[in-house]
Amino acid sequence: MIKTERILHLRRFRGRKVRVVREHYLRERVPCFSSLCQADCANGVKVLPGDLTHYVMPDADVVVDYLEILELKELQGIIFTQTACQALHSKGRRFYNRLRSLVKDPRFHCVQFANEFQQYSFCPREKGESQEKWQTRCVYSAAVWYYNHLAGMMNVVMITEDEEAVAQYSSLHSGVYVVTVQDYLQNFWPDLQAAQELYASISQALEEREAEDSQREFPEHLPAEVMEAGIKSGRYIQGTLSVNKHRAQSEALVQTEGSSSQAMDLSSGVLVHGGKNRNRAVHGDVVVVELLPRSEWRGRATLLTEGQGDDRSPDDGQEKPMPTGRVVGVLQRNWRDYVVTFPSRDASQSQSRSCQRVLTVPWDRRIPKIRISTQQAEALQDHRVVVRLDSWESTSLYPNGHSVKVLGRAGELETEVQTILVENCIHVPPFSEAQMKEMPLSSPEKPWRVDPAEVARRRDLRDSHLVFSIDPLGCEDVDDTLSVRSLAGGTLLELGVHIADVTHFVPEGSLTDLEARTRATTYYLADRRYDMLPAVLSADLCSLLGGVDRYAMSVLWELDAGSLAVRRVWFGRTVIRSSYQLHYELAQALLNGEEVRVPELERFCPEEKDLKLAQLIQALEMLTRVSRHLRLQRDRGGALELEGVEVRAQLDKDKNITALVPRQPLEVHETVAECMIYANHWVARKIQESFPNRALLRRHPPPRLELFSQLVDTAKAMGFSVDTRTNKALADSLDRAVDPQDPMVNRLLRMMATRAMSQALYFSTGSQPQDQYYHYGLALDRYTHFTSPIRRYADMVVHRLLTAALELEQGAGPAGILATNRELEELAQHINNKNWTAQRAQSASTGLFQCLFFRDRDPQTDLRCVADAIIYAIRDNGVLVFVPEYGIKGPVYLRNKEGQVVSAEAGGSCKWQGGKVRRYPSYITTTTAGGCSATFRLMSHITVRISVRSSSCHSDTLVLEVISNQPHRGSGPPASQGHRQLVQEVVRLAESAQQTAAPTHKLSRQERDFLQSRTPNLYSILEEIRELALMDLDALSQASEQTVLTVPDPLP
Amino acid sequence: MAGLELLSDQGYRLDGRKATELRKVQARMGVFAQADGSAYLEQGNTKALAVVYGPHEIRGARSRALHDRAIINCQYSMATFSTAERKRRPHGDRKSTEMSLHLKQTFEAAVLTQLYPRSQIDIYVKILQSDGGNYSVCVNAATLAVIDAGIPMRDYVCACTVGFVDETSLADLCYAEESGGVSSLALALLPRGGQIALVQMDARLHQDHLDTLIEAAMTACKGVSKVLDQVVRQHLQEGSTLRE
Repeated sequence: MIKTERILHLRRFRGRKVRVVREHYLRERVPCFSSLCQADCANGVKVLPGDLTHYVMPDADVVVDYLEILELKELQGIIFTQTACQALHSKGRRFYNRLRSLVKDPRFHCVQFANEFQQYSFCPREKGESQEKWQTRCVYSAAVWYYNHLAGMMNVVMITEDEEAVAQYSSLHSGVYVVTVQDYLQNFWPDLQAAQELYASISQALEEREAEDSQREFPEHLPAEVMEAGIKSGRYIQGTLSVNKHRAQSEALVQTEGSSSQAMDLSSGVLVHGGKNRNRAVHGDVVVVELLPRSEWRGRATLLTEGQGDDRSPDDGQEKPMPTGRVVGVLQRNWRDYVVTFPSRDASQSQSRSCQRVLTVPWDRRIPKIRISTQQAEALQDHRVVVRLDSWESTSLYPNGHSVKVLGRAGELETEVQTILVENCIHVPPFSEAQMKEMPLSSPEKPWRVDPAEVARRRDLRDSHLVFSIDPLGCEDVDDTLSVRSLAGGTLLELGVHIADVTHFVPEGSLTDLEARTRATTYYLADRRYDMLPAVLSADLCSLLGGVDRYAMSVLWELDAGSLAVRRVWFGRTVIRSSYQLHYELAQALLNGEEVRVPELERFCPEEKDLKLAQLIQALEMLTRVSRHLRLQRDRGGALELEGVEVRAQLDKDKNITALVPRQPLEVHETVAECMIYANHWVARKIQESFPNRALLRRHPPPRLELFSQLVDTAKAMGFSVDTRTNKALADSLDRAVDPQDPMVNRLLRMMATRAMSQALYFSTGSQPQDQYYHYGLALDRYTHFTSPIRRYADMVVHRLLTAALELEQGAGPAGILATNRELEELAQHINNKNWTAQRAQSASTGLFQCLFFRDRDPQTDLRCVADAIIYAIRDNGVLVFVPEYGIKGPVYLRNKEGQVVSAEAGGSCKWQGGKVRRYPSYITTTTAGGCSATFRLMSHITVRISVRSSSCHSDTLVLEVISNQPHRGSGPPASQGHRQLVQEVVRLAESAQQTAAPTHKLSRQERDFLQSRTPNLYSILEEIRELALMDLDALSQASEQTVLTVPDPLP
Repeated sequence: MAGLELLSDQGYRLDGRKATELRKVQARMGVFAQADGSAYLEQGNTKALAVVYGPHEIRGARSRALHDRAIINCQYSMATFSTAERKRRPHGDRKSTEMSLHLKQTFEAAVLTQLYPRSQIDIYVKILQSDGGNYSVCVNAATLAVIDAGIPMRDYVCACTVGFVDETSLADLCYAEESGGVSSLALALLPRGGQIALVQMDARLHQDHLDTLIEAAMTACKGVSKVLDQVVRQHLQEGSTLRE
């Protein structure tokens, strides 16, 4: 066995001092993770490259304070010692986890070295030696060991902040250099401006922290063990702090996890009122609160305040006092990167005495102002800057932070889009060289071909099956195809769904895979998209284009031709050649028996053409029959349909959009969607059976019934009854709730139902009991995502699980490499979070474009600023409306700050006059002093004027103002016209502004770098239409999946 | 301060061992002359002294005697100085009583008691220093003492605790690991036949992991048995050279 030795460690625990003796085993062989290693260390996959000029070994205090600098990708060859890692561990688990993921990530060239377990690099702590000194000594001895271990082939630089150590060690050993961080960055990385700036800003923040004056602004936080004991005994309550967006100064709510043991009901959370009670907690932190005596409890504010656009807050019982508390401590800081705006000069002069400390205003209203110490305050006026919080001492009114990166001048399109990305923690660097190198080559001259050896391993469907895809017109990334044929003389039907085999090209653990995992999904913003996979995969190799051989993952069902019952299912890897790349309208026209031209058939002679056409039509008919049957099955189970607007895009020859026309929903959409749902369902069954406790599925929990109250009340006011007990009842009652005069009513009701739904989630089967697997929206007992691996990482995981399941069946044992339940659950959480941020970023960017669109128009004169709106909810001093033309939802105030109310005149036009507002369940009335009154009913149409309230620090907001209580007369243009114009116009304006202001071709460069299109493409338009249609429910993502298409970049 | 990291990403445990590595085991047999058998065993920082008397006539109530085999009487105690804070009650508390019972069951399974009808074997074990895995150290020390006393056994009884953390089984837990939220399992094995003398676990563990955990425990026990075998052989060699 191994040579071991025991060393005693002294350790004192909190409170009472206890001498604890710990064993400490040392060994000779500890892997060094360097490719230069001469001693055959058991190095893993990730090693430091040998072609660097030096390795760098940061001291413990450098790792603790300057981890951010070490996180820069440019710095290579970093060796983190165990000593330093432990120092970071004692600072906080979050920092430690950041380091761990850094070390694991093969994109960063850094490793961790267990120096304390290495026989020769370990040095025991001497009596009376301070911890810091000992750590420095340990790191130095590790550096010396490294130098010797690599036989002097690589110089090792130790960086420290301890001047004494530099003096003591620097001349001790040639080849091992000891320098300070500043010297290191200046001498070794003189070009790396970002690192230098980061260093300056962090060290300044550190100095400031030390020089803090001692006037106390907040009570101290309690020590951790007191809080823990208090939580256990029920004296304190633990929860996540969420600050009210509209009253960020005063109101915050602590969402408790699990109900407390006490009798009182804390399910609605604990209110924290005012900044003193919040005690330095920031939105998102996990805090511990103490309840105040009942006499000090208060209710939440109820009125619509200026700037409120959210309509989710419950509107009844607001006056009632609720449990109120104060924060006594913070268990976990959840600080992320924030975007702040530096104030302009006149505003900043008054408050900056030392002119180096600037109070900056975060973009997110929920975050308090952040104090930044910087020399560049002058240059950064009105710029948006990414900052990180460092600390918030009890002596300071504001938290301290340091700047990380400058985004640009506020108000510019590019800056604002980047702001949205940062605020949603979306990080999309261009695909790196190394990642692109992993991609197979494919160029127009030398197209990629299937490998015969790989084909031999797969089932060949190229000749036996008629495979075709149905997608929107102009689609580029085709990830699903279909096939159907009769077998056994017509007694059996074989239905096939063939999905692009992305995982064949992206092996698990490769750089591309890691990047895709970090992104988790393709991000669609209003004017651009950020792909999950490099374009060579998503638009070419993995796209199941017509007429070329492609790898696929297939599901083939053998169905009874009569009863359509499933006889047999086959899963596996195949190679296919899609014969027809149809689009929806074409497919529907074929089904309807119309005379249409199929491009793929043009080259055949007439007889052959007819024969082929007949085959294709027959296949389509079979498919339609099957999917009708499937849909019926699900409908019986209670599947919901919450569809909104359907819009068709018309394209000209250059694939530019010429018009968006409301579309008749075609049956073929549903046909394709149904097949995909069916494939997802069967794959879910397969992987769940093969891996009962570690399969990635998707569930949709049933909604909480009380959330439907708004829907039920609104429907009742309109004279409909909505039954929300089961999904079946809800679906049926929504179908009945149709106002023949106004189709918008049904749409709004469905929209409210959608809002009441809970979100569908990915999860690992091992972490939920089986009865929780149910998918409410689709009415399926098991469901997963399998059919879009090009744009969703979850599908890639499912593909791998399916492959593993198939290998397991064949007797191979791949189960070892699969993710465990816990890893999978973590991954599922990650993907869920990323999906939410993607959704948030998308709607934020839509909002941004709306604002930019209206910003340049004069609301008084421009006709486009006047639009028709529908009232869908009533509040105390106003109503919430939906503007279908632009897809805007927002509040309309009927009483302004001066106490004036809106009154209607004979023609319907409205004026502000003194008066009162009275609210009833289904309408709201204003009465002026002069006796005039105006009534606004639920679901009635009014005319609003849209204008923009700009704000230098936050995002601009739209203001809706009622100008008439009659429907807008000229509500002629189709719903989506405005939307399309909107995006195009904003981009055009931004581009022309760019060209006139600065001749740098920033945008086009970005385009080249990112390999991503940023012009308004058909895809983004349709995505927005989807947004407009409020189809955020997963149940419909399948349907919308079929509307996913990409238009090639019009620019060269 | 965050909790301890029991298993690092590179596979090191708190004290620098890998997951399957045991602590250093050192032992001596025949430390006392007056008892029939005795042994001293260190496993890492856990140190135990075991003494065996017998087989001899039943002491006390004669009615306890079994007509076909010997009864085994075990007593477990901890020295007052064995823990970081001085222990108030060295033996007789609930924990010690339970431990005594476990030891008794273990050795009834291993000692060939039917060779000594109507007699009694006493095994006394004392923990001198406690650093995790007390039960297994006691079993290992007592085995040596029983061998030293010349009482025939089916095989060595070797015991080891194993824990389960991050989907990995850790062999031979130390105190920091035992108290750090690992679900631990103690197993006593007759290594040659692979028979289990005793399994004891009072933590929560998913059923699927139980097999791997027991597998790991058996491997660890076999490791211990190799060391014990060496100790016995060396002791016999020393004894025989002395006599010559």
